[in-house]
This record gives sequence, structure tokens and C-alpha cells, in this order.
Amino acid sequence: MLIPIRCFTCGKPIAHMWEDYKEQVSKGEDVGKVMNKLGLDRYCCRGVFLGTVELIDLAGEFKRF
Amino acid sequence: MKVEKINFDKKNDKISFLLKGVNESFVNVIRRIITEEVPTLAIEDVEIKENSSGLYDEMLALRLGLVPIKTDLKSYTFKEGCKCEGAGCARCELKMAMKVSKKGYVYADSAVSKDPKCKFVYNMPITKILPKQKVELQMTAILGRGKDHAKWSPGWGFYKKEPVITIGNVKDAEKVANVCPKGIFNAKGGKLALNKDKVYDCHLCNACVDLDDVKLEDTDNYIFTLESWGQLSCKDVLTTSMSILLEKLDQLGANLK
Repeated sequence: MLIPIRCFTCGKPIAHMWEDYKEQVSKGEDVGKVMNKLGLDRYCCRGVFLGTVELIDLAGEFKRF
Repeated sequence: MKVEKINFDKKNDKISFLLKGVNESFVNVIRRIITEEVPTLAIEDVEIKENSSGLYDEMLALRLGLVPIKTDLKSYTFKEGCKCEGAGCARCELKMAMKVSKKGYVYADSAVSKDPKCKFVYNMPITKILPKQKVELQMTAILGRGKDHAKWSPGWGFYKKEPVITIGNVKDAEKVANVCPKGIFNAKGGKLALNKDKVYDCHLCNACVDLDDVKLEDTDNYIFTLESWGQLSCKDVLTTSMSILLEKLDQLGANLK
């Protein structure tokens, strides 16, 4: 849906890095290097980024009133 | 007991230090007090006036609760034991409000706090709204402890034993240097050497020991790492945790008399 505010496992706040991550990855940079740069060194936090698919725009369509 | 600072990463608010002359249970006490007892501010009540975004009200409130708030421990007290007797006053509650109707992400920075010192630490996307959608809400943050909910946890501490690596008669230096996931070894001209700055990164995986004649021993010293989530600085977290520990011991002593 949306990037979780915190990492599910360790609790590190991660949501503020999402847009930076998305921008750099869309430019074609290596995903692993981008995550290293952002300071995500545990594999729990990295997994959250890799597994996030933004579906909020689609879900929002159904709630318009 | 001796303490030596190893590393302080200001950008990520992360500190690691070496503890000498203590046992594991003591180090664990520090860790548990940090994650469970050090108080911080977090959103507890959310009054939603309007939420037509794609997220349900509950989800929105949950997300707001998890966003860290810069905490000033001197000017806030716990709700229980406050002079207002649970009615809610400026000493025990922090009011915040948010009103967004511009399409796109709804950011944490669009929240207006009553106390300019205590704001959301990071500018996080809370939800996303389409044209004509709206989010309007009021929030109340209170002081709490990590043992009640992880949102009040000020950070995360962990420890490992200090590694001591001795290199013996190594056959293939190149191979050992490559097998180490943390890059602790340098292989120059077929000779294996330790990379002194990186020894503390070793997480005792024993990959080098399995491969060749390298000895990996642990000592009774502990490397303690503390990562702050942003509500308090690392220094504040450590000093508050210590004063909580002392308070608990004082209470124990007073009750034993």
C-alpha cells in the first residue's frame, strides 16, 4: 500500500527515505548501493523497501466521495 | 568497569562503545532499560474530523502513532502522577493538529504542534490523497514507556563480545580475505593482515576459522551499540537509562530497610 513508517522487525523509522529511494532507483542506480547510502544496514529494513508496492492511488479511487 | 568509545555516527544517531569488566547480565540490563523504560512522546489519541484518503481511520492513526516526536523530558511528565490528576494539561499532553487538502503525499511536517520544541522528527509520508480528498485531524501525544508499546521506545541497543583474531600459518590469504563478509582482512602479496579499524565490525561468524588457520576468540568485554530513533539523542538515552536504573536500585534498597 504505502511504505511502512517503521521497519516491521527492528523498529527503525524508514518512511522518510522512501521518496529519495524511489527517485534514485528510478534513475537506474543499484538498489543495494542506494540502500547503503540511506543507512539501511540491516536486512530487515532492506526487505521492507524491496517488498513495498505503492497501491495507495488505486485504493484511493474507491474511497472518493 | 571501564568504558571506551569506539564510534559515534552523528548522521545516523548511532553510538558504539566497549564495556570492560562487566558480565552479560549487566549489559542486558542496560539494553532492556533503554528499550523498555526510557520515556518518550508519541501520539496516543487521534480525533479524526475528516479522512477521505485511501487509508482507513485506524490505519492512519496507527501510522501517526509510530512517527517519532522530538522529546523534551524536562518539560513533560507522565499522565499518572501529574498535578492535573489525569484531566490533561500542558505538562502531560502535547496537542497537534493537521489539515491537508492538497493532492499528493500528506507529510508529517504539515502537522502543527502546540510546542515548537516538540515536533515530528522526520518528514514522513503519512498517507496520500487524490484531488477533492481531505485529511483533517487533531492529535494528542503523551509520555510513555517502550514496555507498553514499541512506539515509545527511544532506540535500539544490542551487544556482542569483543573479538580477538590471531592469524596463524595461513595457506591461501586471498581466499580468507574474500570470505569475510565485513572485510576485516587485507591480503597483500600472499600474506594475511588484520584491518585494524574494522576488527570491531566482526560478527563472529567463524567463516575464516572454518577455512584456514585463523583463530577467533571472544573476550569478556562487550561492544554495545545504541541506535537512537530520533526522539532523544544517544547521550540523553544513556543518561536517562542510568538514572532510571539508579532510581530502581534506590527503591529496592529503601524497601529492604
